[in-house]
Amino acid sequence: MIAYDFFTTQKLEEALDYLDRLEKVKVLAGGTDLLVDMHKKSPRLPPISYLLDISNLEVLKFIRPADHYVEIGSLITHSKLIKEPLLNHNFPLLVEAARTIGSTQIRNRGTIGGNLVNASPAADLLPPLIALKAEVVLTSKKSERVLPLEEFLAGPYKTKIEANELLTKIKIPLLGDHYYTDFQKIGRRKAMSIARLSIALVVKIDEKSIFQDVRVVPGSATPYPQSLSKVEKAIEGKSINKIDLEEIGRIISEEMISITGVRWSTPYKKPTIAILLKRSLEKVIKESKTNA
Amino acid sequence: MHRINLTIKVNGKEVTLKVGPKERLIDTLREQLNLTGTKEGCSIGECGACTVILDGEAVCSCLILTGQIGGSEVLTIEGLEVAGKLDPLQKAFLDYQAIQCGFCTPGMLMSAKALLLKNPHPGREEIKTALEGNLCRCTGYEQIIEAIESVANK
Repeated sequence: MIAYDFFTTQKLEEALDYLDRLEKVKVLAGGTDLLVDMHKKSPRLPPISYLLDISNLEVLKFIRPADHYVEIGSLITHSKLIKEPLLNHNFPLLVEAARTIGSTQIRNRGTIGGNLVNASPAADLLPPLIALKAEVVLTSKKSERVLPLEEFLAGPYKTKIEANELLTKIKIPLLGDHYYTDFQKIGRRKAMSIARLSIALVVKIDEKSIFQDVRVVPGSATPYPQSLSKVEKAIEGKSINKIDLEEIGRIISEEMISITGVRWSTPYKKPTIAILLKRSLEKVIKESKTNA
Repeated sequence: MHRINLTIKVNGKEVTLKVGPKERLIDTLREQLNLTGTKEGCSIGECGACTVILDGEAVCSCLILTGQIGGSEVLTIEGLEVAGKLDPLQKAFLDYQAIQCGFCTPGMLMSAKALLLKNPHPGREEIKTALEGNLCRCTGYEQIIEAIESVANK
């Protein structure tokens, strides 16, 4: 039996004040992970004295352009991400990933901030947001700090958020010209599926058809999503007309295994991650040729 | 543990409630308001039997604490029938025999209703997406989709 007291507020300052004053506070947003963990009495759940509902903080529900970024309030639901023209235009891979989350009911409640703070190894928004070099804004009563999302993650279901902090905003830098992106996900079925494996790809293909600034971030492949620098370097500098996709596939498989070791799922994931990356690369290569 | 006072609108009627810190929307509906049409299946948001419409959106009432939704508007299966007249979706479910044991039916209807409220003429794929979160273990989905299509094509 989990015993806790419940607070809800419509004011950000009040929420930050609760976090500052009270101990063992668990923040509740959309509830699509937390209420499941509570129902299942998940061992991942820390002891909770207070549940702080932030789902009514209207001030954290925005998507807006800002200088060289798009800023997303942490309480934006997956359904809102999918509908937003600004995101469809600039970051289609993020929208594609949001579309694959849970079901309509889950997407209507689950939030981008919750997906990041819960930090599941299979969190669908983590690979695209890491590949986009997103930053998270962590706000406490007295200060505010910005961390690259990749640094924010500290392990499976672990982040560097402090007990008195709230994730308030996600900042995604705009991609320049000649960038191409893709997101692929494999689940056990089409709807309500947890990613068995996914991949987010962001690349620049310059006027000479050379890969630049390659970012490859698989989901459900490593203990928590991270960019794979070896395969990124192997792709960088190659011409889209000469790249050996089989070799790139071998490199990403090896890099994944170098991180995870050989696990029960390796016989499946080793060839599959190679195929996912190949599909993504083929897709961006084709797109860049259509644009040329 | 303090109780939370709040007012919500359920099927068009304002109700003022005292709820516990762990009380989920489905608990409030079934146990405080005696609206037992909404069913509890998996309790973890996977089966959709508990689907209701919250401020226009289909949601799982097992994944919401009632304390979160003061001031909101909830539509349940009991709110579909107006003045003794079945909603066109309810009528279509009967006509197309889209019901066998009936346990998933309230959730199916609420997901379908949420879709039609936003988009009165959805295509087949849009209907399937709206039902992604609703499981049926007896009739199969075909009659359900056909029933919704028949209303969408009107």
